[in-house]
Amino acid sequence: MNRRGALVVLAFLAAGVLLGAFATTYIHSSPSAITAQASSETNGGGPVVDIHLTTVAAVGFGEHPNWVGYLPTTYFKVPPNSTLRITISQQDGASGLRNPYYSLVRGTIGGTMTVNGKTMSSIDPTTAAHSFAVPGLGVNVPLLGVDDNAPAGATNTVVFSFKVPASGIFHWQCFVPCAAGTLYGLGGPMQTLGFMDGQIEVGS
Amino acid sequence: MSATRRLVYTLGAIWLVLAVIGSFVIAILPFPPGAASNVAGSVTDTIRLLTWAAWPVFSLTIIGVIGAVLVRRSDPDAAAAPARELRGNPRLASTWIGVVGAVVLALAIVGTITLGNDDAAQALGLGGRTISGDNGNVIGGALDEGGYLPVQVIAQQWQFTYRYPTLGGFESAHLVLPNNTNVEFHITSLDVTHSFWLIALGVKADAVPLHDNVFLATTQQLGTYRSVCGELCGLWHGAMDDNSMQVVSAGDFDTWVAQEKALDAPIMKYLPPYSTTYVPDPAAYGS
Repeated sequence: MNRRGALVVLAFLAAGVLLGAFATTYIHSSPSAITAQASSETNGGGPVVDIHLTTVAAVGFGEHPNWVGYLPTTYFKVPPNSTLRITISQQDGASGLRNPYYSLVRGTIGGTMTVNGKTMSSIDPTTAAHSFAVPGLGVNVPLLGVDDNAPAGATNTVVFSFKVPASGIFHWQCFVPCAAGTLYGLGGPMQTLGFMDGQIEVGS
Repeated sequence: MSATRRLVYTLGAIWLVLAVIGSFVIAILPFPPGAASNVAGSVTDTIRLLTWAAWPVFSLTIIGVIGAVLVRRSDPDAAAAPARELRGNPRLASTWIGVVGAVVLALAIVGTITLGNDDAAQALGLGGRTISGDNGNVIGGALDEGGYLPVQVIAQQWQFTYRYPTLGGFESAHLVLPNNTNVEFHITSLDVTHSFWLIALGVKADAVPLHDNVFLATTQQLGTYRSVCGELCGLWHGAMDDNSMQVVSAGDFDTWVAQEKALDAPIMKYLPPYSTTYVPDPAAYGS
């Protein structure tokens, strides 16, 4: 093989290595995860675990500080057959659901949530800021947006619970097209793990 | 009889046996997607027909290759054959082209008739796009004027929901259909292009924003089936995969409808009037 041929082969090999490294890094990159600890409570034979989240209009750090997101992370690791009791401090304003069907609370224990202590089974879809939905578990919870006239720092505290099975990985997402500044509100944080998308890993 | 001719006759006999046995096997093989709907049945019949037509040609090709190897194998110590002996056999070539051409032409005619004439398609058992005859499973008030149960499939990132306009317009995250019923799927999207694919029922159509894609199918088998999105549609495209679609009896369907209506009661006032498409409002989102 002449020198030119050898260089071409080497160039292809180098490109393959770089491409593989990039793909591997991309595939295996994910937000940090919360490993939820079981409380002393039980429900239906499984532990009850608490997860506390906050929704903000701008996460304020990282590569996209102006993106809307859930904090502190959107990745959860939870025990098998556990009941997740999720408390969301909802700090963002309403932008509305594209499909009003998602204004219905579904899949939670009792088919309800509490908003600032008040039990609700649905909200006006135009008042939704975000939603917490786990389609694989049939869970959907619309999150009431903070009123435009509310004082600074106002939040809506939303609490709901649902059970997970013995194992599996379930994606969860927001159904409100809340990615301001992107086409139809569907880009950026709506398409990026760690902002309005995450997953629940049920394991030991 | 020369050894070569004897070999040709032997291989020909083997091919004939293979072709006949293969045809019988193809006739009973459980080709996908099955018979869960008339469309699925038509797809299965079409695959069976194509396989049946292709098998004799395929097996003849394989036998021909084997025969060529046996007859034309060269002695490693022999001198290279002169060029004239490597020329093609015009009779064999023209026969081959003729047979293949006839098969392709026949399939082209079948395909053209199927695409262009619904009655012919039905008669051939290849259509599945038009439904005729009585619906033997009448559900009170659920069917439209044509005897179909309209079901709207609404796609959005990343879940399909289903609306039943003749049953009060309720919406559900689950697709449940009554058995032995003509179903008229109206498929649309609220955001990007998706593709609604009920694999076992042979139903597959793009879900396009501001467009109403209509697909007709008749359910034929009780069961639980899988629906997926067949169009790469974003981050969680792979999660638009639901194994809970059901075809149930008329009684079970009525029970399910009642349950879903009760569940939807709090939001019925918020659902928009039924429409074949829904217009996203850019002013309200992404601004």
